Amino acid sequence: MKLARIIRRLLMLLAASALLLGLPAAATAFASSATTGTGWIRLAHLSPNTPAVDVYLYSAGNSNAQIVLHHVAYGTVSPYEPVTAGDYSVAMRATGASPTSAPVLSTSVTIVAGHAYTVAGMGPESGLRLQVLEDTLVTPAGQALARVIQASLKHQTVTVTLGSTVLASNLSFASVSPYQAVLPGTDTVTVTTSSTSVHSSVTLAAGTVHTLVVLDGANGLEVVSLEDASGSGKPPTGGVTTGFGGTAPRGPGSPVPWLAAIGAGALLALTGGLRLRRSGLRPRRQLRTRI
Amino acid sequence: MPTRRPAAMLWLAAGLVVIVGGTAGLLLTRHPTEPVRPAAGVAAFPAPTGPIVAPPPPADPRPVPRPVSLTIPLIGVRTQLITLGLTVGGALQVPSSTAVAGWYTGSPEPGAIGSAIIVGHIDSLTGPGVFYRLPELRPGDRVYVKRADGTMVEFRVTSVQTYPKDRFPTQAVYGPTPDPELRLITCGGAFDYATGHYLSNIVVYATEVS
Repeated sequence: MKLARIIRRLLMLLAASALLLGLPAAATAFASSATTGTGWIRLAHLSPNTPAVDVYLYSAGNSNAQIVLHHVAYGTVSPYEPVTAGDYSVAMRATGASPTSAPVLSTSVTIVAGHAYTVAGMGPESGLRLQVLEDTLVTPAGQALARVIQASLKHQTVTVTLGSTVLASNLSFASVSPYQAVLPGTDTVTVTTSSTSVHSSVTLAAGTVHTLVVLDGANGLEVVSLEDASGSGKPPTGGVTTGFGGTAPRGPGSPVPWLAAIGAGALLALTGGLRLRRSGLRPRRQLRTRI
Repeated sequence: MPTRRPAAMLWLAAGLVVIVGGTAGLLLTRHPTEPVRPAAGVAAFPAPTGPIVAPPPPADPRPVPRPVSLTIPLIGVRTQLITLGLTVGGALQVPSSTAVAGWYTGSPEPGAIGSAIIVGHIDSLTGPGVFYRLPELRPGDRVYVKRADGTMVEFRVTSVQTYPKDRFPTQAVYGPTPDPELRLITCGGAFDYATGHYLSNIVVYATEVS
């Protein structure tokens, strides 16, 4: 009976060791996320006959503007600003108007963590509206993405090609084409309207996202290439091998040898115990029933 | 058979000794090691000085000069930056010296729009490497990159993450970002003595201070 108790204790010890091993294994199986709870927003003025404006960004429920851009003229696109994910409103006021005056125009935008948005004043002055565009941050492997914003009032529709790729066909004023995957490199952008056609050169690197904005310039149509986002055109595969273990805690990294030792010890003790039992005073049968 | 009793007792005793030894070994060698963080705000040396430039305008960005050195005062990092490419297998090259960090030339330049990649060793075979104290960084800490034209870019740490290498988040680390960002990468987590590699990567995310 004493032996049976010992064996039971041994089994419990083994079970406890297994538990101890299982815990760190479970703790390292966590899933990390790079999400820091921020998204991005940029503000643009793309209404050709609307004078310059002041643009305000407010976090929901806060009357103090988080971002104020003064004297934003036609054709201006701000850099992206990282902001905490949540609900915001964008307001436009005439240049120099009091920040407490009623805005000419305002719209709300919900910013999701990890996503980017363009809020642009678009259309003719008489029908000016603030349009919220969701911008892409993912490119197909080894390719670039491009889209077109048609912000020329003098030409109601435009067709935009990059090399032989049609990015936008008969795109009407104040509208946006979807992103399209293109081969990376330097190529010619051609904007064709019913009356004219202009050419310019753009470089789109792999892993970048671009928006081509068609504007009414002082001397006819202009194309501005905006770099929306950029990353590694050729993302390395897998993790990075940046350590040789000189500062790692000593001893085997794997628990297997220790586990094996515990198992072997248990076997040894069990065998010893059984032999002791056999050579002892009690009959074998009783031992079996105790186990 | 009373003559076998001593032998059997020996077996039992030896078995118990091995179990105790194995358990002790298991418990003693599997301590999680936490790096010690110095008191907040105590930098090894002052922030570097130089003209700090603003992020580029989104329209028609001009080429940005390549990075030449990296300084992280809080954790005593001051290193030249070498250039790194990809291995034949498509993995990221690492500096041949554990004392310097390197910039991946396939990523945007630090300060240009996008996620610039800088890699350094956590240790050599015998001691600490250039990024030994990288895991001590916390959101808000500052990182400085000096560029070939003498200008400097200042970054603010936003997040420090540990990823098992077999689940490395390629898109989050190398994917496009709409603002100038920096990723500092080194090794971490448990060390596998069988393969001679750490099992995880530590990635510090930072964005340019504008």
